[in-house]
Amino acid sequence: MRLHAGICGSFPRPQALRKAFDDLSEGKISDGEFKNVLRECILEVARLQEKAGMTILTSGLLSWHDLFRPFTMELDGLEAGRLIRFFDNNFYYRCPTIIGRILWRRPVTVDEVQEVRRNTRELVKAIIPGPYTFLKLSENRFYASEDQLLDDLIEALRAEVNSLRGSADLIQVDEPSLVDPELGRSERLKGIEVVNEFLSKLGMPENEVIIATYFNLDPERYAMLLDLRAGLHVDLRSTPAEADLALKEHGFDGQILSLGVIDSRSIYPEDPREIVYRVRAYLDSISPHVLIFSTSSWLDYIPYNEAVRRLDALGRVLAEAEVRFL
Amino acid sequence: MSCKLPDKLRTTVVGSYPYFPEALKAFQLRRRGDRGPEYEALVREATKKAIMDYLDAGIDILADGEQRREDMAVFFAEELDGFEISEPVRIFDNVYFRKPVIAGRISWRREMLVEDWKYASSISAGKPVKVTITGPYTMYSWSFDKFYGNMRNAILDLAESFRKEIEALVRAGATFIQIDEPALSTRAEKMDVLIAGEAFEIMFKGLSNVKRITHICYGKLERLFPEILDFPIDQYDFETKNRNYELLSLLREYSFDKELALGVIDVHSSRIEPVEEIMEGIARGLELLPPEKLYIKPDCGLKRLKREVALEKLRNMVEAARRARETLA
Repeated sequence: MRLHAGICGSFPRPQALRKAFDDLSEGKISDGEFKNVLRECILEVARLQEKAGMTILTSGLLSWHDLFRPFTMELDGLEAGRLIRFFDNNFYYRCPTIIGRILWRRPVTVDEVQEVRRNTRELVKAIIPGPYTFLKLSENRFYASEDQLLDDLIEALRAEVNSLRGSADLIQVDEPSLVDPELGRSERLKGIEVVNEFLSKLGMPENEVIIATYFNLDPERYAMLLDLRAGLHVDLRSTPAEADLALKEHGFDGQILSLGVIDSRSIYPEDPREIVYRVRAYLDSISPHVLIFSTSSWLDYIPYNEAVRRLDALGRVLAEAEVRFL
Repeated sequence: MSCKLPDKLRTTVVGSYPYFPEALKAFQLRRRGDRGPEYEALVREATKKAIMDYLDAGIDILADGEQRREDMAVFFAEELDGFEISEPVRIFDNVYFRKPVIAGRISWRREMLVEDWKYASSISAGKPVKVTITGPYTMYSWSFDKFYGNMRNAILDLAESFRKEIEALVRAGATFIQIDEPALSTRAEKMDVLIAGEAFEIMFKGLSNVKRITHICYGKLERLFPEILDFPIDQYDFETKNRNYELLSLLREYSFDKELALGVIDVHSSRIEPVEEIMEGIARGLELLPPEKLYIKPDCGLKRLKREVALEKLRNMVEAARRARETLA
């Protein structure tokens, strides 16, 4: 079993980038000047990840306003609609509103991933929203047939992943809706089917794709996730007792298991030793080829300075696990 | 001086109004720890302008525009004992707020809203001014907890603190008290709703001659029913326009017969709703309740809009209510 560490997705925007966004919207700086600030901030966040001991880096998704936004802006047929709360967080996304046929025209996220790729020797992970969560959290004003909508959406996301292949070592497909407690069993099964169909269209090996879920894990939902033909990220902190039970009861024998061990929505100090001790309790039940220690979800829910502390704690979890597990 | 309000389809606001330059300057002073005469003068000037806009639009029940509050949670966290303030945290797009951190036992320190209410009331042309308070559940949910590690204990301490503030407001003469609980609709757990109910009991129990209001918005409001109907609340203020008035069906299911403040303006869009469109929304509300129990207002606070957009939306809303009253007559 190989051990890695890396954040689940985003990192809070550095102050310089927050200001650059405001300056851009007020016409105080040009697109070119904004992109320079963005590039510098991506490098800053990549360096922070390396310094903390991450072995898998992301771009921090610093330009993303939410899970969907780069795609609602760049894909044909979509626009950013009303603000909606993102699950139970004090964080809102613009509802992807489908107003025409969904078509991929050009790479959406490749530039930021390449920026990290050019500047690190560590593994690089790219993130995209998954088709099922995209479908569930969007508003369809165009397609008469949901099957046709899904076909086009899956094709657009497949094209994006295809464009990322030269730059990213891992693709993370975010599917928090798969563990949404509001879903019934049949809807969840449909979600698993949709994601597996997407995975089969990607045609990538299981050790290069991770399906990321967060916020609401329990044993029943987890058991269903095991039918996914890819690596898996699970949030161990939002519902800790149920998540621990899920792993103990159902184990894991796939290629990649990413454990969200650092609470990305709290600033309560973490104890890396205690975290490793807890994971060790079900180490006999899980046997992935690659075990990744990660944050429970994106880090947008806490301030930048606290995210830096969380990153440091995650690095110490990996170091502790290397001593205890290997 | 008091002003006679219409007895049907009264118009009101949720609370916040776009910040005037004076308010923005006051925030800068406040961040530097300067709360001297210049700061107070700036807040008053901004409050005066908000009140004048509300009056210009013709709103019946006003608020002070929350020009003193850079953020609805941070303001109270800075005024109560037990809180610290974090670095900025994102809410959406590139919009951030400094999240409160609970670092000790929460308690009431001093009056927070009484002077602002008195001032706003003195320039409101006799119209009532509603007081808005960020509710205990939302205060807890929008804070990081480094002290309690127990939601209920923290929320009940917050409720006790706000009870003291409400008593001071009532003593001063306030008659419309609104508790804002936008975080309440984000949770599925019934336990959370019950804890919020305990907090409302603490804050509102035994108060007389006061309109007890709660504003809840965005999220899954349906999760709060039916428990929320047992809260000691006279008027429920909901976001309804943004969800195409779907909530009204649910209220009908529960035979809702209290007062409803109906959201008819989308506060996240700069599009000015035409009067006729707002009248359609009012008509939807009238299918549920008689006009005496229906208050007309935007979905939520207006602070994210440009001032001229907010004002124009309010003018159309007031005109729509006026025409709807005429139709009823």
